[in-house]
Amino acid sequence: MSTLLEVSGVSVSFDGFKAINNLSFNIGPRELRAVIGPNGAGKTTFMDIITGKTRPDEGKVLWGEKSQSLLAMSESRIAQAGVGRKFQRPTVFEDQTVAENLMLALRKSRNPLSVLRFRPSRDDEEKVGELAAEIGLGAALGRKSGELSHGQKQWLEIGMLLAQDPKLLLVDEPAAGMTPSEREHTTDLLVEAAKTRAVVVVEHDMEFVRRLGCKVTVLHEGSVLAEGSIDHVTSDKQVIEVYLGR
Amino acid sequence: MSEMSAGAIRRKPLVMRYPSLLIFLACLAVFTVGVTVLSEGLGIGVISTSFIKTLGKTLCLCLVALAMDLVWGYCGILSLGHMAFFGIGGYAIGMWLMYTRTELIVVQSLANRPLPPTPEEISDGIATQIFGVVGASEFPPIWAVAHSLPLQLAAVVLVPGLLALVFGWLAFRSRVTGVYLSILTQAMTLALSLYLFQNDSGLRGNNGLSGLQNLPGLGDVPQSVVSMWFFWASALALGVGYVLCVAIVSGKFGSVIRAIRDDEARVRFLGYPVEAYKLFIFAFTAILAGIAGALYYPQAGIVNPAEIAPIASIYLAVWVAIGGRGRLYGAVIGAAFVSLLSTWFTGGQAPDVNLGFATIQWVDWWTVLLGLSFVAVTLFAPKGIGGVFDLIAHKRSPDRHGADLGPEPGALREREADQ
Repeated sequence: MSTLLEVSGVSVSFDGFKAINNLSFNIGPRELRAVIGPNGAGKTTFMDIITGKTRPDEGKVLWGEKSQSLLAMSESRIAQAGVGRKFQRPTVFEDQTVAENLMLALRKSRNPLSVLRFRPSRDDEEKVGELAAEIGLGAALGRKSGELSHGQKQWLEIGMLLAQDPKLLLVDEPAAGMTPSEREHTTDLLVEAAKTRAVVVVEHDMEFVRRLGCKVTVLHEGSVLAEGSIDHVTSDKQVIEVYLGR
Repeated sequence: MSEMSAGAIRRKPLVMRYPSLLIFLACLAVFTVGVTVLSEGLGIGVISTSFIKTLGKTLCLCLVALAMDLVWGYCGILSLGHMAFFGIGGYAIGMWLMYTRTELIVVQSLANRPLPPTPEEISDGIATQIFGVVGASEFPPIWAVAHSLPLQLAAVVLVPGLLALVFGWLAFRSRVTGVYLSILTQAMTLALSLYLFQNDSGLRGNNGLSGLQNLPGLGDVPQSVVSMWFFWASALALGVGYVLCVAIVSGKFGSVIRAIRDDEARVRFLGYPVEAYKLFIFAFTAILAGIAGALYYPQAGIVNPAEIAPIASIYLAVWVAIGGRGRLYGAVIGAAFVSLLSTWFTGGQAPDVNLGFATIQWVDWWTVLLGLSFVAVTLFAPKGIGGVFDLIAHKRSPDRHGADLGPEPGALREREADQ
């Protein structure tokens, strides 16, 4: 299988503390992957590096068929190239309606001058309506997103990511703070999304990861400890020692 | 059904999406016609010429407040330097007014001599007239195009615009935000004002440019009529500025800049080049401020470096905060209300309050009252005067459970998510 994202030999340290230590990671164009690890394993830093928020001290991050380096690109350029990110806490624009939030995310030119002239076409509006229906917010298009429940905000953010139509979706703890039925819905959304793109899910909750039924990468102290199916990694001695056994 | 509601939100003409636009323009038109009818110069003479000038100046302040609201209320950049752009606009038009008028006077005084004056003599005469007060008699290079109205009008737009572009590019590129950016803009306006205070800055030091109320070549037209021209021009500029601002904030661009205000990093991860948007808004509002200044100072008659002092820009922020930031009409209401009230209090018209042990003289105590009302508005009515309209329209903002809407979406929202 070809690779969409190739991270190799990446290290980064903050004030002498090695947050990421010689980490290597690959993901294909249509793959669902869960990344687990104890607190401080470097999961969030790993995402920061891919999205351009943090620059690594050494190593390579290569993207797409042309093996472009992401390290020289700004956050907005990386996002335009097709990397979408969902944060741990739901970050939607609370002062704006669900429709406005989705319209913001919709894959269109990000150039200020074309945004200034932008008028949504019927297609754009239909797309926004479809997305809203997909995330269960079809009836809430005109509502300010600040009024939504925590779980609805999480979905709205996922909807915004789908609107962005990224090739790679990075999702940080999507199930945090959700009710069991909301979790189920989220699992379905992610599995569905992974049919057309690569999805990396960082998650604490082992039950949630099991339900995703995908390959799992275990991070520990900034590097990969184990990789494989959920049953494979949960029976790994080292993994049990550092993570599950606690 | 869902796509219909999406369409209902988006597919409307500007006025429908922004109903306050029509109301605002109607109010402005009624006000302008009303003042004209009541004016001394062209109407029944109820409003004196000096008050016409005050009203005209107030309209210019409303325009610069509009710019401030766009940059601060919508884009979250608390610039405390926009009055510098306002002052630059005043200087740019003031140079032409002063040069051309002095030229007429000099030519007239030299006309009686036996030999016709040479261009050098005229130029020296103008320079001595203008710069005698700072002990110079030559034109500094900055006055190179002062004779040309089109070029000085271009300077009204270009100088503030370019200064804002350079300053903004440096600041935004280094990701300077929040209070640090505010301090930087204060430093900019302070530096500019200190520079202009110097006699050798080429702009007459602390004397500034004066006599700007006299339009060259129109000495026969009484001030009561000239004041009306400027009043109309100010009203027109405010109207056009308002429409432009509405056009910017009502569409997707407005959605992006409000998103930048609330969560800049998130907008970046959506793929928007945040710096370019901020730069656009910063430069556009600087140009608006420059135009407002160019209309204000001919009505004030004088522009000097004290006008660019840091406190002026802070007042501007106070007007917008009291009027209600994040809504365009709020900025206009705030600027008009506070500046007119300030004129009343500092003009000595407000009666002194005798407390027995002390007397409150409003000329001195007005700033204290203004400061207290600013604190009160910030603490108890963050929506400002504009919030009253929400009560009328029964519009409620979503319950954020105490989380901030401001440019630093802080810990509170995070705590909310953790629960």
